[in-house]
Amino acid sequence: MSDEFLGSESPFPTLIDNPAHVEEQLMVFAKDAVAAYRRDKARARELEEALETLETAYLETIRSLAFVVEAKDAYTGQHLERCRVYGVALMKALGIHEDYPDAQYGFLLHDAGKVGVPERILGKPGPLTAAEWRVMRTHPLIGYQMVASIPFLRSAGEIVRSHHEMFDGSGYPAGLKGDEIPLPARVFSVVDAFDAMTTDRPYRAALSIDHASTELTRMAGTQFDSDVVAAFVPMCERLLVAPAGP
Amino acid sequence: MTGKARIVMVVDDDDMIRRLVRTVLEADEFEVVEARDGQIALDLAKSAHPSVVVLDIMMPGIDGVEVCQRLDHEAVKVIVLTARDDPALEKACQDAGADSFLTKPFSSIELLDLVDELMLS
Repeated sequence: MSDEFLGSESPFPTLIDNPAHVEEQLMVFAKDAVAAYRRDKARARELEEALETLETAYLETIRSLAFVVEAKDAYTGQHLERCRVYGVALMKALGIHEDYPDAQYGFLLHDAGKVGVPERILGKPGPLTAAEWRVMRTHPLIGYQMVASIPFLRSAGEIVRSHHEMFDGSGYPAGLKGDEIPLPARVFSVVDAFDAMTTDRPYRAALSIDHASTELTRMAGTQFDSDVVAAFVPMCERLLVAPAGP
Repeated sequence: MTGKARIVMVVDDDDMIRRLVRTVLEADEFEVVEARDGQIALDLAKSAHPSVVVLDIMMPGIDGVEVCQRLDHEAVKVIVLTARDDPALEKACQDAGADSFLTKPFSSIELLDLVDELMLS
């Protein structure tokens, strides 16, 4: 704006004529800056807390859903939660934890598809017939259809679908091989087997950690991804000594 | 409905106050036009089409109350910015059609809140 539009000099005293007024005005602006900064910070904290609450609620919801399935399967009490804790720890050790933020939901929900398998097959005391096995083997795909239809859980669904695949291609439902199996699913296979071996079952007592590690190593390259086993074996003792936790 | 133009006119005979108001408003991406007295303000209101006017009261020539009376209140909202915290003056400004009142030294946050609010109304 050039001066010709601004009119004539004013006869009234101006702000700059009174240093005390300048100080006052500066102080008000400084307080504005502090207030804005504090408000921003408080909001960021509120948001963070809200997000945390939401994540906790989300995890609890998924957990409840997974426990419903577990109850039907009459499997050992804390198996799901241990698989989640071991799985998350192993993902961290592999440095891929942040690439698959919803993996823990996949660990919890891996057997969700068992709701579609009749209880007489799930709870059958003796060995299953070929026909019963065919039904049993539908659970990864049933679970995948349930879980992957929820947008947040799409990659968790990959774990559900592929948790019975084997590294050498001999698993089901798709017979995927090696890297074709999603990495979190390869992680899950290892921790699931480890937990199954290190807990008491009706038909046998728990194996020792050494025994379980030896088994995992023996099956590396056939049932399991060798790299995943190699990362898990050194840490599994620590996990078993200090299990659970949220 | 299209939003109002983010143009604000600052009317004050004090160069420093205009500069402070301009700096605060430009930091929030408003376009600011300045008038040093009442007559210039009335002319500029017609040519620059501001949506909000930040208006001083004590000015040589046409004072702020009269400027406020003569502005087209269909087109602009008016924030009176004055050094005096004076209920009688505030009443006079309201009667003249002012929408808000702000005293010097003024808070930049209050100024931005008022301008935002009036832009939306």
